[in-house]
Amino acid sequence: MTPPDLVRLTTSRRDFVKLLGASVALAGLGACVREPDRKILPYVDTPPDVVPGVPLHYATVMTLDGYATGLLVESHTGRPTKVEGNPDHPASLGAAGVYEQASVLQLYDPHRARAVRAGRRRATWSAAASAFAPAALARRVGARGAGLRLLLPPTSSPLVASLLERVLVRWPDARVAFYAPLASDGAVAGTRTALGAPLVPQYDFRAADVVVSLDADFLSSGPFHLRWASHHGVRRRATPPCRLYVAEPVPTPTGTLADHRLPIAPAGIASLAATLLHAVAADPRVTGRVGAVPLPAPSGTLPADARAWASAAAADLAASPGRSIVLAGERQPAEVHAVVHALNAMLANAGATVWYTPPALVDAGSHAIGLDALATELDGRTVDTLVVLEGNPCYGAPADLDLPRRMRAVPNSLYLGAYADETARVTTWHVPAAHYLESWGDARAYDGTTSLVQPLIAPLHDGRTPAEVLAVLAGAGERSAHDLLFDAWRERHGAPPEAEAAWSDALRRGIVAGSALPRATPPPRWDAVARAQRGIADRAGPSRDTTEIVFLPSRGVYDGRFADNAWLQELPDPITKLTWDNAATMAPAHAARLGIVTGDVVALRLGPRTLDVPALLVPGQADGVVSLAIGYGRRGAEAVARGVGANANLLRASDAPHAATGLVIARTGRRHALALTQTHWSIEGRGPSVLGEPPASRPAASERAGAPEPQRKRRPLTLYEPGPPPKDGFGEDQWAMVIDLDACTGCSACVVACQAENNVPVVGKEGVLDSREMHWLRIDRYVDGPLDAPRFETQPMLCQHCEKAPCEYVCPVGATVHSDDGLNEMIYNRCVGTRFCSNNCPYKVRRFNWFDYNAEVAETVRMAKNPQVTVRGRGVMEKCTFCVQRVRQAQRTAWLAGEPRTGPVVTACQQTCPTHAIVFGSLTDPESEVRRLFDDPRGFSALGELGTVPRVRYLARARSAPAPSADSPGAGAAGGGGGDDDDV
Amino acid sequence: MTTSDAPVARLARRALGGGERRFPPEPASLEPHPVMGELPDDGALTTRLLAPIWTPASAWKWLFLASGALSALFVVAMGVTFARGIGAWGNNIPVAWAYAITDFVWWIGIGHAGTFISAFLLLLNQRWRASINRLAEAMTLFALVNASLFPLLHLGRPWFFYWLIPYPATMGVWPNFKSSLPWDVAAISTYFTVSLLFWYLGLVPDLAAARDRAPGTTRRRIYGVFALGWRGRASEWRHYRVAYTLLAGLATPLVISVHSIVSLDFAIAQLPGWHSTIFPPYFVVGAIYSGFAMVLMLMLPVRRIFGLEQVITPRHLDRIAKLLLVTGSMLAYSYLCEAFGAWYGGDQFERYTMLIARPLGPYAPVFWVMTAVNVLTPQLFWSARLRTNPLVLFVAGVLIWAAMWMERFVIIVGSLNRDFLPSSWHLYAPTWVDWSLLAGSIGLFCLLFFAFLRWVPFVPVSEVKRLRHEMARDALPPARRAGDAA
Repeated sequence: MTPPDLVRLTTSRRDFVKLLGASVALAGLGACVREPDRKILPYVDTPPDVVPGVPLHYATVMTLDGYATGLLVESHTGRPTKVEGNPDHPASLGAAGVYEQASVLQLYDPHRARAVRAGRRRATWSAAASAFAPAALARRVGARGAGLRLLLPPTSSPLVASLLERVLVRWPDARVAFYAPLASDGAVAGTRTALGAPLVPQYDFRAADVVVSLDADFLSSGPFHLRWASHHGVRRRATPPCRLYVAEPVPTPTGTLADHRLPIAPAGIASLAATLLHAVAADPRVTGRVGAVPLPAPSGTLPADARAWASAAAADLAASPGRSIVLAGERQPAEVHAVVHALNAMLANAGATVWYTPPALVDAGSHAIGLDALATELDGRTVDTLVVLEGNPCYGAPADLDLPRRMRAVPNSLYLGAYADETARVTTWHVPAAHYLESWGDARAYDGTTSLVQPLIAPLHDGRTPAEVLAVLAGAGERSAHDLLFDAWRERHGAPPEAEAAWSDALRRGIVAGSALPRATPPPRWDAVARAQRGIADRAGPSRDTTEIVFLPSRGVYDGRFADNAWLQELPDPITKLTWDNAATMAPAHAARLGIVTGDVVALRLGPRTLDVPALLVPGQADGVVSLAIGYGRRGAEAVARGVGANANLLRASDAPHAATGLVIARTGRRHALALTQTHWSIEGRGPSVLGEPPASRPAASERAGAPEPQRKRRPLTLYEPGPPPKDGFGEDQWAMVIDLDACTGCSACVVACQAENNVPVVGKEGVLDSREMHWLRIDRYVDGPLDAPRFETQPMLCQHCEKAPCEYVCPVGATVHSDDGLNEMIYNRCVGTRFCSNNCPYKVRRFNWFDYNAEVAETVRMAKNPQVTVRGRGVMEKCTFCVQRVRQAQRTAWLAGEPRTGPVVTACQQTCPTHAIVFGSLTDPESEVRRLFDDPRGFSALGELGTVPRVRYLARARSAPAPSADSPGAGAAGGGGGDDDDV
Repeated sequence: MTTSDAPVARLARRALGGGERRFPPEPASLEPHPVMGELPDDGALTTRLLAPIWTPASAWKWLFLASGALSALFVVAMGVTFARGIGAWGNNIPVAWAYAITDFVWWIGIGHAGTFISAFLLLLNQRWRASINRLAEAMTLFALVNASLFPLLHLGRPWFFYWLIPYPATMGVWPNFKSSLPWDVAAISTYFTVSLLFWYLGLVPDLAAARDRAPGTTRRRIYGVFALGWRGRASEWRHYRVAYTLLAGLATPLVISVHSIVSLDFAIAQLPGWHSTIFPPYFVVGAIYSGFAMVLMLMLPVRRIFGLEQVITPRHLDRIAKLLLVTGSMLAYSYLCEAFGAWYGGDQFERYTMLIARPLGPYAPVFWVMTAVNVLTPQLFWSARLRTNPLVLFVAGVLIWAAMWMERFVIIVGSLNRDFLPSSWHLYAPTWVDWSLLAGSIGLFCLLFFAFLRWVPFVPVSEVKRLRHEMARDALPPARRAGDAA
């Protein structure tokens, strides 16, 4: 819903929001000592949409490296508390990723910059605006702006684009650089090569029977990963079984779901792509359709397992024309992308499962310069004024550019940033940036769909948006982002009544209808493809003698922008389960050769640069490859982030920012404690009991319907008579959950969603080292089989709400009991904290408040708490409640409305799961999906033989789907064997 | 005693199988050591046995200071725990119970030997218990003081400890009687009460003797208050004997029940390593075993320092060593049974815990030291010579005392740190607070025990005198004895 006053009455809306939240927040901020009695203001006129206790949801978008993901944000009396995906938005489809989920905490971060700074003095926005207004600036940078440079991260905002255009009209000699540490133009450059135009590929994974990914983690990272994960999840459940081939140097969530996974060094990816193209082009099924394409043979440096993988994938692809997808990782070079585009064209996928759109990102055209060029200019003293709009380039830029020193030399510089970070330290001006939940703006999704960014709260620290700064530079003065946006909107949408109706509609729905960019499928230019193929053949392939390093985004803090977000710092990496750190990950065999074990600090030397990082052994990583997450080793004013991990940017070079060869690893003899939430990888032969018996293949819907019996009965043999069957109807619900292990990528969005929804505290690195993390929902990761190419198992683990719960009977005070509708309830104010329940829980999902974790939380962070969930004190147990607050809310609503049955209840984890692996509902509802899936033949209860009768049922992950023609290298049995199944 | 006994006394006598004075004559040839050495008359005996409480030695000050300092550490560690929360310990998930519960079970176990000696052996007419029972009982009480502190400390919210007690709360909520923890509260509080009463009752005649011999008015008054007006009349002795025997009858089953119930704290759980039907007897045997080890540790120095070789004779040492051998062998059998049960049961989780994690896992050194000491040490006592060697006995006592702590550690931490899902496996490492609580509880025990030695007649004067009379009677020819009985 959109409050009507958002449209016209901006001032009063601000006042209203200030009244609601900011007055409380700022009172807390301004006070250095706690003031127990502070003024509270009751509503004089209650805003029409606000009913105390009933949250409102507003649509907005969050951008990451320029691309938007649509969100619905829950607001409790003016405080945004929970972020969920917007089902209408193409990048979200209802899901949200870890960054979006956790972004709400950053809004309330007490370490955000709070005031404009000029030099060392505190200043005001008006002072900054007059200092950078054209009148003042013209004296410094010349009439045409020859001394003016702008540096900003990639953006898709039409508003920023139009303002940038105005700036460049006013300052025609100014130059603009776009930079983000993890952004790469490889994909666009690849289309320029192969298709003759700058385009970005779009995919429909629902229609893809065979997916071949060359280092593309399309299920858990990248701008459209939520959509693609959802679509791939749909396809995985359909007939006939689809097959996923993944070649990657470092295990990713996508790789763990692969049927055929190939660990390969980054340098080998290009050769692999070339080999694949060559094999597909030579396949008679393809030549019969496309004709012979003259392509040079790839170099023969690929290892045998890679060649086998490539021929299996090529055969499978050739057998699925128009129903397959080949894609390359974002940070792969242009040649690889070109080859992949050619492959899709050759396989008739282009136009079917793959198409292209113009890039949604803003391009400065002839005014654009690269970051390295900008750095050179800074040295040449030709730049007088540098305006940096977010992005923290002094931290994120490769070390060889030496940006901090060069930027410090600029006489006049302005940085718009949320924190007094590394960049803010070297600029003469620092203006606090507004959080997106405080901002007006717009942004486009990966397919171009435009959305409006609408604020849920007035800026807590008087933050500004890039548009407001650009307006100042363009000479528009101190205009608010809302006015700028609305003006731009009116320019595009005509006269007031229509414009305002469209505006309201866009705000309400979270998207501007019909704004997606047009599709195109230009034919490939085979000569250019052949040149790319030749370019690959000329490159050095993977070599046993050299060690390669890849720089990856951190799964928690991305490129460092979320480093002050404690939820994300404590979010275990989906693969390594590492928190509060980055580490040099390497294959166990590689580490064994070097005599390194996990926790050894190693000195990484790349060219002239060295960095000391702890090592972490990761099964399934390609041998001879080290990966290092960027985003750590922060030196800014962010207290949470400071001192956590090592800064990988100090090792990166601008000519090879994402992967480099020639790494030298030396032991230092020092040790470093790595906070891992899981320290034991092996399933210890308990696979059948914990992860179920893998069915022969992914069952199709038809098989499901015909199968009478789940693979394992839910109840073990018992002497007791079964109870009466549960009744149907209102008040007779029996809540249950089903988790499809075949769809779960382990992306961990659910973990953050649970944390946000249920006020789960963070415990810090020390707490994780002591195994005291509080996550109610965790993702267990097991590896099975040989350590160089294992099978990965992923299992979300949460309270199983056992019907025969072992925790309940051992509690001496009855603080954990069973509800009539099947919830295992935790009564916090009855708990005395004996912890017997945890000892007796076979799933170890109960969490204990070892300290008073909520006592030292900053006043602002308290605003992020969900008011519908108790904040637990010291000494009590807590655990997953199946989002009981949502269950009870739905029951109340149904009861008030006189419904015959409780409406659908969506738990926080289920809501955000991009692949819909989590299903929740009532077993007594014969129509419910959970009822249907509970009897699925793949269904099993984890540790079912213990007789706990869990209400969480897992659907076993299928064995790898074998390639139809080739002898598949990756297909293998799962589960360690060993344990007997006593359950039937 | 005459036939005009009170009905209660008759009942007690019938229940306990005859008069307590019907000791069979000892076949002297089978017992190499006398139960009591050559002793002078009753008066001299009283003087001799009460002497330690009248003559303070300068060593006391240092002993009290040392144990008091350790107790202060205990208080500090408790303060930290209460102020900061259980997080001050090394506990985690999965190891939610660790040192505190280990200490608790250990102290409870130690608390078993006292009652075993004073009550069990009384009912079984074991005369040799007479001279050491008070010391052993005091040990029981002080061990129970420590033991009852740990569960309180261990609560996340200790200020609500009374919720474990069934009391008529306003809201009508009761403890959950399905859980073994309220059973624990009941068992331990009962045991403590009965032990205290039993100990104090036995002490009354000696306190009266101390009152009568006290060198000054103050001390006479103090002992007089605690002697509860005991005059030593025949009727008082008659009621005393009845009450003492009845309390012994009450305390005896408690020896068995308390540790059985403590063992159920583990056995009712389904954790591999805990979920075992052998636990109650296994725990009781282990408790008595550890208790006797500690009795040795305390008794041997006391015997030496206070020159009590005439009342605590090699017979006592021999008997305790034999009990160690018996209980130690039963414990070894329990270890074997536990492992066999895990293997024979075929449960993969239990097999892993018992057959892989314990002998080969991260706490394997503790397991092997514990097993070696507990199984092998008592086997020394097949040798009659070693059974009466105080030094060997003392060292064995210390080793077993420590190894029994390790046993509880292995059972608790060794089972919790690797349970069903390998994903949640995690090691446990104690913090300084954990160590301080363990050391501090030993300090508190020492403080209480030293105070007991200093101010309380720690050898039961009246019982030793009685034993002397009985032995003198036994030495008479049978004709005289028969006449005596008539």
